[in-house]
Amino acid sequence: MVDMGTGLIAVGAGLAIGISAIAAALAESTIGAAAVGAMAEKEELFGKGLILTVIPETLVIFGLVIAYLILQMAK
Amino acid sequence: MPRPFSMKKVIITGPHSVFEKVVKELHDMKVLHVVDHSKNELADIGKPFADSQRYSELLVKARALISALGVTGERKRSNGINGIEEAEIRIRNLGNELNGVLHQIKEDDETISKNESMKKELLAFGSINVPLEHLAEYKSLNVFAGNLKDAESIDNIKKKLKNITDKSLFEHESSFFVFFVESKKKEETLKLLNSHGFKPIQLSNFGSLKGTANSNISRMEHESNDCLSRKIELTKRLERMKIDNAEFLLKTESHLSKELEKLEAPLKCASTESCFLVKGWVPENDLFQSIENLEKVSGGKIHVWYDAPKSSDNVPVKLNNINPAKPFEFFLDLYSFPTFKEIDPTFFVFLTFPLFFGMMLGDVGYGLVGMVLFWFLKRKIKSAKNLFNILIVSSFVSILFGFLFGEIFGYEFIEHPVINRAHDILTLMIISVIIGAVHLNFGFILGFINERKSHGLMHAINTKLSWIVLQIGIVLIGLSLSNLINLPWYTGAGFLALSVIMLIKGEGIRGVIELPSILSNILSYVRIMAIGLSSVILALIINESASEFFKGGPLLIIIGVLLLIVGHAVNIMLGFLGSFLHSLRLHYVEYFSKFFHGGAKKYVPFGYLNNGNNGA
Repeated sequence: MVDMGTGLIAVGAGLAIGISAIAAALAESTIGAAAVGAMAEKEELFGKGLILTVIPETLVIFGLVIAYLILQMAK
Repeated sequence: MPRPFSMKKVIITGPHSVFEKVVKELHDMKVLHVVDHSKNELADIGKPFADSQRYSELLVKARALISALGVTGERKRSNGINGIEEAEIRIRNLGNELNGVLHQIKEDDETISKNESMKKELLAFGSINVPLEHLAEYKSLNVFAGNLKDAESIDNIKKKLKNITDKSLFEHESSFFVFFVESKKKEETLKLLNSHGFKPIQLSNFGSLKGTANSNISRMEHESNDCLSRKIELTKRLERMKIDNAEFLLKTESHLSKELEKLEAPLKCASTESCFLVKGWVPENDLFQSIENLEKVSGGKIHVWYDAPKSSDNVPVKLNNINPAKPFEFFLDLYSFPTFKEIDPTFFVFLTFPLFFGMMLGDVGYGLVGMVLFWFLKRKIKSAKNLFNILIVSSFVSILFGFLFGEIFGYEFIEHPVINRAHDILTLMIISVIIGAVHLNFGFILGFINERKSHGLMHAINTKLSWIVLQIGIVLIGLSLSNLINLPWYTGAGFLALSVIMLIKGEGIRGVIELPSILSNILSYVRIMAIGLSSVILALIINESASEFFKGGPLLIIIGVLLLIVGHAVNIMLGFLGSFLHSLRLHYVEYFSKFFHGGAKKYVPFGYLNNGNNGA
């Protein structure tokens, strides 16, 4: 069994990536819906729509980096 | 630096007598991107050439036949048909034949459904053998026919009827009955019947029928069967018509739309009483040959004026790339075309997209599956050829990275690979960030070249080089603070301050607000490692859980094999989708924003029918 401290570190890392993923998902859902709406009107907007939709995705990457840094504490 | 083809603005003028010849030559040469003329006080738009009405009517008919017969297939480029008259006659005959067949099918359908509903009512008569023509209206007789609530009440009614009249005839089959009674007693009988839940049927429906119900039913069944077999016959005939005429129709459609484009060309041009004027763009390489050809066909009666584009012109863009990079123009098609002054990034995307994709997927097995799958799809779906070419190249690079990472379907087939993706996470993260920094700075350099061309050297230095100075500053501060180099920390701070001043000069306060974005942009490349890691972990989980099953009996082994197949199929799907989208995103969002403006129109020369072979 791992000790309490390591467990909490793991929970912390999970929270870091999980919450940032939820945040990115919330942001993307609104943008994505609007982008698809715009694309239905004008198909050429696919590229711009894709870009706008994936902008919040970087949040997850930040979450991942932080999660990795937290996990380093366990070693 | 790769740039789009250089274009010349061209204006062709001449008398109406050579208009048609010029249009035909332009259509054959396929070099002029026509700019539509809009009506003004100097010149109206031209009138379509004679016959355009005839061609467009025929085209509409041909397209109607194509859709009615359900003809599908590639629109074949044809070198012409056997004359418009012959096509007209054949299309008219075909139309008449089709109308006849469709009409007959509709009639048969109606007869069948009418018989079906009539049969339902007649079935109630069962063995009652009253000829239907007897159920008419009489002077002294009244007819009732219908259902009672239940069969038991029949006897009851018969008993009571005797009290009302003795002049009646009653036939019944369970609760259904046909009942004749003298007219005088009509009201009383109806009251009696109603008290037993009488539901009459419409006798007028049978007005035209003769003979008993049973004989009518068998006659209708016979008729319906005839209709049905005729319908099958007709459907077969339609199928034959489709097979016999598919090629003719597609060829004619293609020929007519090509001809019609020529005949309607004057609608795009300016025209006065005696002259015409065509505006457009021609690639510089083709310019002189085209002018020569045009003068030859018009007998020197036209004048061609040309000039280099001005910066305010909306120049259509024709990309100029080496063949292997050509499929990657698809990404610009999706995004936006570079303007004629900009660098065309297709070649650089060709270099880096497969690299990022390969690093993310990075598995020999997955790469092989991808190559086979996309090669197969490319042959099936011709219209998305470019996309599949991109994916095939990217899958090939994935195989190379698979050897580097020592992975085949998640199994480590090399004991000590160059990089182990599941364990050397930090190494891969650092490599990803370095790739990001290099990629972005290359983007800044491209941006510098673009800006220098459009806004001058100073602006280019202030807006693009400042970002590179900023990064040097950050790196210097980091290195000196961690004592890796022997420099005071304020040297780096000096670079930092310099870059901020340059940015304020170049982009104003907005540039300063954007400062942190360089960090998030570079960190964004960590996704190269992240996507790869998630893909490899998933593959490992699939393999491990399958190997647990392999320890059991034959049934468990089958489940294990199924798990391997389904699991890897899902992971391959996720891997392709994730690697493709994220690699694309790194280019569109992080990379292009450093140098690319875009917004140009695509160069579509007159006579180039869009056959759906450019992109998905």
